[in-house]
Amino acid sequence: MSMMNLAWRNFKSSFKNYLAVILSLSFTILVIFNFQNLLDSDMFALLGKQNGERIDMLVQTVSFVLGCFMFFFLWYATNVFLTTRKKEIGIYVFMGLTNQKIAWLYTIEVTMIGLSSLVLGIVFGILTAQLFQMILLAISDLSVSFSFHFALRPVYRTAGGYLVMYLVFVCKGYVNLVRSSVLDMISAIRQKEYVKQNVWLLFVKSVAGVSILFFGYYMAVKEGGQEVMGNVLAAVALVVIGVYLLFGGFLPMCFLGLAKKKTFLYRKQRTLWINQVIFRMKRNYRTYAMTCILMLCSVTALATGFAMRSRYDAIVHFRNTYTYQFLCGQKGLDAKVRPLIEQDNQIAYSAQIPILLLDADLVKTRFAENGYALLSYSKLRDLAKASGLEFTLTEPNDREVVKVSKLHMLSLLTDRSHETVTINGTVYDQVVETTVPYLGYFQELMSFYLVNDDEYQRLLPLGEEQWSYHYQIRDINNFAASKEALDTLQDDMAGEKIARVTIDPNSSDIEWIKMMYTICIFLFMVFVLASGSILFMKLYHDAFEEQERCQTLIKLGVAKRTLKKSFSHELQIAYGLPFAVMAVSAYFSVHALEKMMYTNLILIYLRSVGVVFLLLCFFYVLSTRIYARNAGIK
Amino acid sequence: MNGKKVVEIKNLVKNYGVNGFCTTVLKGISLEICKNDFVAIMGPSGSGKTTLLNILSTIDQPTQGAVFLDGVDITKISNKELSKMRRDKIGFIFQDYNLLDTMTLQDNIALPLSLNGASGEECIRKTQELCQMFGLSGHLRKYPYQLSGGQKQRGAACRALIANPEIIFADEPTGALDSRSSKELLESLKMVNDSGRATILMVTHDAFSASYAKDVYILSDGQMQCRLSKGSDRREFYDKIIHMQAAMGGDCL
Ligand SMILES: Nc1ncnc2c1ncn2[C@@H]1O[C@H](COP(=O)(O)OP(=O)(O)O)[C@@H](O)[C@H]1O
Ligand SMILES: [Mg+2]
Repeated sequence: MSMMNLAWRNFKSSFKNYLAVILSLSFTILVIFNFQNLLDSDMFALLGKQNGERIDMLVQTVSFVLGCFMFFFLWYATNVFLTTRKKEIGIYVFMGLTNQKIAWLYTIEVTMIGLSSLVLGIVFGILTAQLFQMILLAISDLSVSFSFHFALRPVYRTAGGYLVMYLVFVCKGYVNLVRSSVLDMISAIRQKEYVKQNVWLLFVKSVAGVSILFFGYYMAVKEGGQEVMGNVLAAVALVVIGVYLLFGGFLPMCFLGLAKKKTFLYRKQRTLWINQVIFRMKRNYRTYAMTCILMLCSVTALATGFAMRSRYDAIVHFRNTYTYQFLCGQKGLDAKVRPLIEQDNQIAYSAQIPILLLDADLVKTRFAENGYALLSYSKLRDLAKASGLEFTLTEPNDREVVKVSKLHMLSLLTDRSHETVTINGTVYDQVVETTVPYLGYFQELMSFYLVNDDEYQRLLPLGEEQWSYHYQIRDINNFAASKEALDTLQDDMAGEKIARVTIDPNSSDIEWIKMMYTICIFLFMVFVLASGSILFMKLYHDAFEEQERCQTLIKLGVAKRTLKKSFSHELQIAYGLPFAVMAVSAYFSVHALEKMMYTNLILIYLRSVGVVFLLLCFFYVLSTRIYARNAGIK
Repeated sequence: MNGKKVVEIKNLVKNYGVNGFCTTVLKGISLEICKNDFVAIMGPSGSGKTTLLNILSTIDQPTQGAVFLDGVDITKISNKELSKMRRDKIGFIFQDYNLLDTMTLQDNIALPLSLNGASGEECIRKTQELCQMFGLSGHLRKYPYQLSGGQKQRGAACRALIANPEIIFADEPTGALDSRSSKELLESLKMVNDSGRATILMVTHDAFSASYAKDVYILSDGQMQCRLSKGSDRREFYDKIIHMQAAMGGDCL
């Protein structure tokens, strides 16, 4: 029989066993294909025109992340496959096959698996592409419409990338098999896994794991200034290490502890499944840790997406406080502007306030800003009243300022107490910071500080006082109607200092944030599905190893129902532990995000953890069905 | 024989294979085992000992005939009742121990009882008691891979005994053991039988093992050829078995 025939036979007869690998691989391909398809769509072309650079950067980042993801996923899948195959192909050693022949057999088989995954992935990718894009569009409500189309380019790209990576791992497997000694292969067949745990090592690992993990949490939520970026990076590293140690040390130790408490252990199926969990944990802790971290990434990605989204909405709202804003050196501009606007629009509200522009050299703040201006307390109160904005600020004392700032997208500065501003050598305490859009878009252009009226008068000689006028029209979408008249006015007053801002409510210069949001959702789905399928794949394979044990137990008169119950407990642990650790860790990561993005994300946290939970439940149910079957029960 | 009947086999026939090409492994076997018996069934390899035991222990189905276990015909009850039967009435000792490698010896022994819903304290008490009897007290915390074959098999015997089954089926329990471990195991089995704690049915091809039983049946050609009963002395009984084997001809062993 030729190698080809033998491989084909093996492939056919064990197709069911490799189904998990094939499905997982095709799932990865499906994801990548969908992403490529998205890149190829009109949606991207349109967005790209509007926000070119940022979108490009985004695409590159996400491509990189997905590329890494695919790489690790392939690595993992082929590794699992190699170890299981090694045991089976190893038998051919006894038939006198050389290592080269065996490795060649493996290569043919694994190629068949790779190709069938590719075909499956692309076919399902094409089938789901439209659905997928519709879902994405629906959630992200991007203001672009596009038509569906089918192109070959994403297919080439996906297949190309996949095949190259796959080839690398096939070669790796080939080399591994050729190099492994006959003894290795035989021992792979006979390999029995033992529950051998060095208790001291476990103890050290658990203590280290728990402390590292909590230190990581602490670093994540610790408030600070410039060091926050470093803290966040440290937190990421610490949490990853902590999670690994937790699964490699602390959790097995807990279960070993439970197994030692015999009065606890000897109750119904506990004897079975707790011991089983200990046995599995030793081998699978890397998988558990990996899925836990993947899920953590997914929840964090989703929270980031939502935070950006809510920030986006807030910024849009912020900007749309006023339609037209003027800054003018002379008083009384209102009389000229108002009639002009009212020619074509109705004014919903309007307000004015003097602004004391300070020379940038006079002001020192922690971070240099575009420009500085002072506002007086009573004038701002008047403005708030005129514009109908809330005003709860109390008048600052002498030597105190209130920062009237813009909405940030994200700030790494999480500790905002004890900020000070130095104006002309005098230090002012910043008592509070407000982001109410009193001056609308102006607040994005420069930094405003509110001082009490006396202080304002005292500081007046230092700068140049100008007058600002703010108008909000009824129909903000009709902003262009008054444009011509206002342009003419500005031309007429060309000799004087006058500046105007017109807000287009449909401006798309921050549309990329929506895209970001869309991509965050995409990543969330990918990571969650990936972690679910990794766990599923692992359990699918583990189940085959249960056959012998199950046979024994059935002979002993253990009912199938009892066994199934024990399996469900075991599976609950396998899915539940990574989930629980993720849920706790995600709380901290989301909390850290909350601080950087000034948003309340607790609801998002609960929701995304809920989604992960539901998905894992789905995989869990699927596993319970298949586990018993693979273990040879019924 | 005295006491109540635990197992009653009536004209048991077992065929393997599809009609036309079938081989008859058991050709009408009848046997009665009463409480506190220690019966050994001896026969050469391939004589159908395992087949018989599998049928008795409800793992396999007979082609014809009836098997009564504790008064219930096991050929006529549902799967669910069968597994309940196995759980409550039968204890097993296999040739290859079949201890679960994922748990300690103590857990292995306690497993059947805890699955039956006994309390933790009871499980602990009984495990310790049995381990004391089988000389395993020092090994409770060890995993199967840390134990010798003899220790494993004695552990399996403890596991078989823990739920107080009506009968213990042992399929070549000494098959994988050296002579010393075999002897230790058989002594222990004999002791629990003598103390009235267990009824044992053991199949073996080995006259030495069989000589520990009270009664020995010789199985050959799918039929019970003869029955020997022990007097008072085991050595004498052993000679008797060897003698009988020789008398029956070379095909017996
Ligand atoms: N599942 C089976 N299908 C067909 N023949 C079988 C099967 N199991 C056992 N046999 C045959 O039945 C005979 C008795 O086997 P067995 O009971 O295992 O013998 P023993 O245990 O006495 O060595 C053997 O000839 C064997 O080939
Ligand atoms: Mg046999």
